[in-house]
Amino acid sequence: MPELENDPLRERLEAYVGKPLGSVSTAPDPVNVPMIRHWVAALDDQNPIYLDEAAASESRFGGIVAPPAMLQTWTMPTPKIEGIAERGGAPTEMTNDNVVTALDEAGYVGTLATNSELDFHRYLRPGDELESVTELETISQRKKTSLAEGYFVTWITTYKDGTGQVVGRQLFRIFKFDPATMGGA
Amino acid sequence: MTSNEISVGDALPTFSLALTSTMIVSGAVASRDFMPVHHDTSYAQAQGAPDMFMNILTTNGYIARFITDWAGPEAMVRRIAIRLGVPAVPGKTLRFNGQVTQTTDEGDERVIEVAVQAANDLGDHATGTVVVALPQ
Repeated sequence: MPELENDPLRERLEAYVGKPLGSVSTAPDPVNVPMIRHWVAALDDQNPIYLDEAAASESRFGGIVAPPAMLQTWTMPTPKIEGIAERGGAPTEMTNDNVVTALDEAGYVGTLATNSELDFHRYLRPGDELESVTELETISQRKKTSLAEGYFVTWITTYKDGTGQVVGRQLFRIFKFDPATMGGA
Repeated sequence: MTSNEISVGDALPTFSLALTSTMIVSGAVASRDFMPVHHDTSYAQAQGAPDMFMNILTTNGYIARFITDWAGPEAMVRRIAIRLGVPAVPGKTLRFNGQVTQTTDEGDERVIEVAVQAANDLGDHATGTVVVALPQ
């Protein structure tokens, strides 16, 4: 996919690299069994280590643990439901100057999630108190893909427990594109 | 499943999920994701999607389930790395397939790498790699 030259946005975009997206996100509740139960029911996951205290105690985990893919849920901001559609699905008002709003303002309003890479350093247990920080890792050069012209934006979120130990990480990449350039490849 | 029963080239049992709106909404709410594209068909269609579609957290959750349904409760998932493709939408069965691509002994654990694919009849929804550790 070709890189496009002479990008007047480049300098503005570079300023966001390495910067946190918003502030530290603190989980509103510790890791807990009611939320695990809700998830396990939603996905019909029968793995006994998530809810069966006896089976979990006999396993190598030594007790109940949370499903690993729940990692992101614990620190998700509590949403303001009213107005969520008008905010494009953002759970809360995005007050910070950030790369997404910069790209939106420049016409790159289309969003396509392209990659997710989750790393779990340990399984979480009820009582774990989590916080997460998301940093902008990279913004690609402006590219023309088979979909449209735009930028690949990559964030890394780091999750820590109450002792400051890193328990997991996520890389998340989206393609922010200009819908006016769709179908031009 | 014990770790010495697993070899490179092994295929995991296919998991077919006859996906419904309820499953998509349940997964979104259980992951505290209230973006309208994951519960509101007309909103999703206005965004250019064919229907409401599964959120990424739920996709990762089903991939983890697909792996541990096969590897068992002693398995610890270390990594789920996926590339996202077509949306997972109601009425289209999502089929999960996997194949063991590597095994490595690491102390008292065996670390297994599985190439995974979740696809419906629109194409690949998610493809990638899962790393899972089992005691040996």
